[in-house]
Amino acid sequence: MQPEAEFVHWLFATGFLVLGVCLLAESVVGPDVWGRSIWRAYLWPGAMFVMGVCMWPVMILFTNSTIHMVAHSAWAQVLMLSGGAELALARGKLRSPYWHLTVGLALVVSGAASLVHEQNDWLFSRAAFVHHAMGWVMIAGAIFPIARTFRPRSFALGAGFAATLLVISVLLYSHRDVAEIFGHISPIAGTPHR
Amino acid sequence: MRAPALLFAVAAGLSLPGAAFAHASLEQPSPGYRERLASSPPAVVLRFDQEVTAFPDSIVVLNSQGRVLSDQAALTANRRAVLAPLRKLPRGAYTVRWHILSSDGHPVSGLYTFGVGVAAPPPTEAFGASGPTRAEDIVRWAYFLSLSLVVGGLGFALLVLRGVPPQLSQRLYKLIGLGIVATLEVGIVGFIMRAEGALQLPFRKLLYADLTPIASGTRLGSAFTAMTMGFVIVSVLVYLAWLFDKVVLLWPALLLALGLASGLSLSGHQAADRGSSAATELADWIHLSAALLWVGGLAVLALCVWPLARELRRTAFLRFSRLATLLIAALLGAGIYLSIVRLPAVDDLWTTRYGEVLLVKVGLVSVALLWGAFHHFVARPTLASAEPSGWPTRLGRSLLGESSIAMAILLVAAILVNSKPPG
Repeated sequence: MQPEAEFVHWLFATGFLVLGVCLLAESVVGPDVWGRSIWRAYLWPGAMFVMGVCMWPVMILFTNSTIHMVAHSAWAQVLMLSGGAELALARGKLRSPYWHLTVGLALVVSGAASLVHEQNDWLFSRAAFVHHAMGWVMIAGAIFPIARTFRPRSFALGAGFAATLLVISVLLYSHRDVAEIFGHISPIAGTPHR
Repeated sequence: MRAPALLFAVAAGLSLPGAAFAHASLEQPSPGYRERLASSPPAVVLRFDQEVTAFPDSIVVLNSQGRVLSDQAALTANRRAVLAPLRKLPRGAYTVRWHILSSDGHPVSGLYTFGVGVAAPPPTEAFGASGPTRAEDIVRWAYFLSLSLVVGGLGFALLVLRGVPPQLSQRLYKLIGLGIVATLEVGIVGFIMRAEGALQLPFRKLLYADLTPIASGTRLGSAFTAMTMGFVIVSVLVYLAWLFDKVVLLWPALLLALGLASGLSLSGHQAADRGSSAATELADWIHLSAALLWVGGLAVLALCVWPLARELRRTAFLRFSRLATLLIAALLGAGIYLSIVRLPAVDDLWTTRYGEVLLVKVGLVSVALLWGAFHHFVARPTLASAEPSGWPTRLGRSLLGESSIAMAILLVAAILVNSKPPG
């Protein structure tokens, strides 16, 4: 059994949407108010960890190319690492604030994997555009969680991190393999499906 | 509705807006992967999920001697399938090697097998596929070492320490965690290396090679799938045990890890070669599980207990000594049985490569047994009566020495597993 890949993209888009909304809410109300209910402290780290676990079946099921398999395993591992580290920080099992840097690391690795596994130019098709855009958004957006490690109460950095995740979510929702991008599609990309 | 339930409902709704198309992939090959046909098919047809570009040599069908039996390939009218007419194929096994340019511009390659009147071999034994290399021996060794850290670490914590003492918690969980991560990583590397051996593609083409026939059509692929997903679950259980200080979660992790070790037994010589049976599979699993518990346990004793918990040394050593006696008995019993099955004639030991490697393994096992016997019959009674000064430090070094021999045994075992038994 292999689910449609687009379906999988949308599932993870929903995951990033949840992460982005949670982080935006935390930035708006502040960490003190956000942390009044204990389950909220575990919410987005837990979601990130679960997304990492859920990425493994994707890696195993989509073996139609080596590069996709490797890229998906990289995403699975960094999501589990960063989600796990944030959960452990929330729980008090880890104490060093530098563990927050794993989130920035996850974005950099994920962005690099997205760029490396896409071999076509930006305007080849919408899938190519989304992979390039997502890769650079992740790499550029990594600055927010990295800087937030040193200024954890900054609204701008928290909101910037949330916005990064929301943009990733929108990009994943708009992912189509063979579809136009800004009215353009490569003649060798095949007939658009949508 | 409560907030978490509302959040879940919204997330579910956003995730289910229907399905669309995906990355280019081979949807339907004809003949199918490892299909056994009664008579010669007229052509090989590969149907893809989107338009592709084909070349005259996009499909090449070879017999077991490497003779090409297909004519030039061409696209069908809808440009989503490639067809290569075949000459009349006699009874035998055939290899299909294909490559196309997918609609998104990526070159995609693959390989699979089918049989006419005979069972098709797995893709790893297709024409042109190479056997395991030296690098794969090292990767297999790394896999055994990683598994031993997971299984041995969990086994030592639960069966010897009967919990996770606070002074050992950090290092013990680090060792087990390292073992799990390495098991996953080395498993992926090993699978790709085996696929490379079957596909015989340069690195760049290998990146876009279709691994589906190997992932879904071979014992290796099934074991890789089950073991990868299984060890992800093991990682979650161990992580939660550490996060919430719930040692009880380590029990399912240990049982699952031991069960997953059977993936190697069910995909190796003891399951696939002539003379294999449920008994050889079971014996191989017992042999492997006992080895993993023994080697990993030794490593934990030498690297965790000895340097970090002086007060636990005596108890841990005595308990592990008792457990090791059982493990060695199981290891030897299963190992001797498997040797008799695989090498029915005594002279196979020095006339075949498999026998020679087995002899080296037996030699190393003998050294380890002597070392273990010294610990059991000399060190153990001394420790049981009292703790004389000077002994613990020397015993710690001695345990490291025994661990090194055990790791060398795993290296030879890796070479043995990758060698073809005679017959």
